Amino acid sequence: MAEEKLKLTDLTKKVTKKEDGERIDKVGIIGAGVMGQGIAQSIAAKGVDVIVVEKDEPSLKSSIQNLTKTMENEIARWSLTKSELKAIMAKIKWSLKIEDVKDCDLIIEAIEENIDVKVKIFKELEELAKPHTIFVSNTSTLSLTKIGEKIKRRDRFIGMHFIQPVPKIPIVELGKEVSTSEKTVNRIKEFLKKIGKRPIEVYEYPGFITTRVMMPMINEAVHILMEGLADAKEIDCAMKFGFNFKMGPLEMADAMGLDDVLSWMKQLWNALGEPQFRPCPLIRKLVREGKLGKKVGEGIYKYDAQGKILI
Amino acid sequence: MKILVLNCGSSSIKYQLINTETKQEMAVGIVERIGASDAFLKHKAFDKEKIQIDGEVLNHSTAIEYVIAVLLHPNYGVLKNIKEIDAVGHRVVHGAETFSGSVRITDEVIKALKDNIELAPLHNPPNIAGIEAVSEHLPDVIQCGVFDTAFHMTMPPHAYLYGIPYKLYEKYKIRRYGFHGTSHRYVSERAAALMKKPITELKIITAHLGNGASMAAILNGKSIDTTMGMTPLEGLLMGTRCGDLDPNLPLFIMEKEDLNLKEMATLLNKHSGVVGLAGLTNDMRDIEKAVEEGHERATVTLDAYNYKIKKYIGAYAAALGGVDALVFTGGVGENSPLTRRESCSGLEFMGIKLDPKKNENAKGECDISTSDSKVKVFKIPTNEELVIALDTEEIVNSVIKKKK
Repeated sequence: MAEEKLKLTDLTKKVTKKEDGERIDKVGIIGAGVMGQGIAQSIAAKGVDVIVVEKDEPSLKSSIQNLTKTMENEIARWSLTKSELKAIMAKIKWSLKIEDVKDCDLIIEAIEENIDVKVKIFKELEELAKPHTIFVSNTSTLSLTKIGEKIKRRDRFIGMHFIQPVPKIPIVELGKEVSTSEKTVNRIKEFLKKIGKRPIEVYEYPGFITTRVMMPMINEAVHILMEGLADAKEIDCAMKFGFNFKMGPLEMADAMGLDDVLSWMKQLWNALGEPQFRPCPLIRKLVREGKLGKKVGEGIYKYDAQGKILI
Repeated sequence: MKILVLNCGSSSIKYQLINTETKQEMAVGIVERIGASDAFLKHKAFDKEKIQIDGEVLNHSTAIEYVIAVLLHPNYGVLKNIKEIDAVGHRVVHGAETFSGSVRITDEVIKALKDNIELAPLHNPPNIAGIEAVSEHLPDVIQCGVFDTAFHMTMPPHAYLYGIPYKLYEKYKIRRYGFHGTSHRYVSERAAALMKKPITELKIITAHLGNGASMAAILNGKSIDTTMGMTPLEGLLMGTRCGDLDPNLPLFIMEKEDLNLKEMATLLNKHSGVVGLAGLTNDMRDIEKAVEEGHERATVTLDAYNYKIKKYIGAYAAALGGVDALVFTGGVGENSPLTRRESCSGLEFMGIKLDPKKNENAKGECDISTSDSKVKVFKIPTNEELVIALDTEEIVNSVIKKKK
């Protein structure tokens, strides 16, 4: 192979690079929890560079391990190949410094559902990000406009609600706040197409579609359980087979994490004030007892080490 | 004529510039990672060193622009003037029922390709993108499409229909199409030439054995059956594809293992075949090595691989009503004496007698059967690019003739 470093642009003497503000080549993700990992995997799988930022060393380490483990499980069930795992991990960089996302064209926050923390992060990002960079919040229950109000680049701010498990769910709810520009919406739509997700356009309103429909249903199922109308298995079986759901609502609540379910319910209850969003006391009780669902081995159901429901 | 042969994938373009007079390639190369900022072009002119050029390649159009530029480059290129490119031939994966031969690409052809996207969702869109990119940069050059499916369009309905409600064939064009057509056609024609007999009087079975693999039954020069079906998943055991199986299996596995459609497709296309069965690799050379070392599952995998080929040799001998020649081609077919030997073993009763020495030392195109073998067995390296170039040349000549 020839020694000198050749450049393709030397061949045609033409510059064919896209303008800044056009393409999305590098994506920053703040928060390496399950959501952040899933988003990183989905984007990196399509060959886009990703940088994931986490607050401390132990969390970052465990995120890398967890994502690797998740993908290894997928290989074991034949839905991913070893070379795909390698290619995905090669596209993801991990960091403890928020400054490392300064070159990104898109920055997604995937941290806790707390408006003050989210606003603080975006304010910090505003100081270092490139002017054309789009800011994305992964919130589904907080008001995007309330976050947007606090930052300068409101036209380049948008909500993208990914759903767990992110690599397998082919939709993303795209929430515009009042000032989000059409250009931003179009750039994000093009990006979503590239990563194989269908956008569901939603106007800014807490809960969007998915959370707003699912939460009261889960809540009602827990009410039925609490009132003793039927046991958990029967409730899930009725909904699963009666309406062709892949999972019953109680099983789903355990998979999401009852603490998260409770926090979403509270947000919707606060934001919308409708009685159907009042969290069922049994959810509160289980969360108090630390029975947070599948992730801790017990929630509404009990689970074995492989995450299977114990009968 | 100098023909640029292109094989356009979703993120790569393979190219060869072929001189049809000498039947030699003047340059070969590939553009990889189209759409990414770390793309590159690897290029080799026949008389020069191989080079790699890095940069950003936005789309198929920029990729084609770079291919043309490197062919014209004073140091690395082989052409002085862009006008030296007489025509462009494209490898197109799926011609569906519309194309039974190579064609000049026109707006109607592009429309037909677009109509067939559903049958080859991964392959036809980048093929179309490549064609459109060439129209943009070489607007006056004739382009031709050579289809992987075309050669098998002579299959009779009893060979191409599946035993499912006929309405599904009418609604979605669900039927067997077969692939590797260009290769089956080329090696069968070469076999006839080596036998010094007209192909129109021969019964030939061809086995294209690569990472993807298929066989064809060729009667008087026409394909009457092939192992691949509506998609390349049917037929032989392949590197990572399952080949024939009980159609109930996917349904059973999906339920038991809680897999969705996409995951099931990945299982059958990427985790099955040789890699799935042996649990080692999809490379037959490594499998053969593992067998030598006594690896049990590699042994059964290799046996299954060869057995499937043998089974289809028998089936196609029946379909053809006899066999005059059997041809091995493709990476494995050309390079594995073991697979050739094993898949032919025990077939002496039907006149197939392999010469062990000739088989072991087979170089280039050669007859590897004994002199008294009723059926001639050949090893013939395939050359799909040359077929594409020659078909393109023929179409260009007929266009020129018409103009006169």
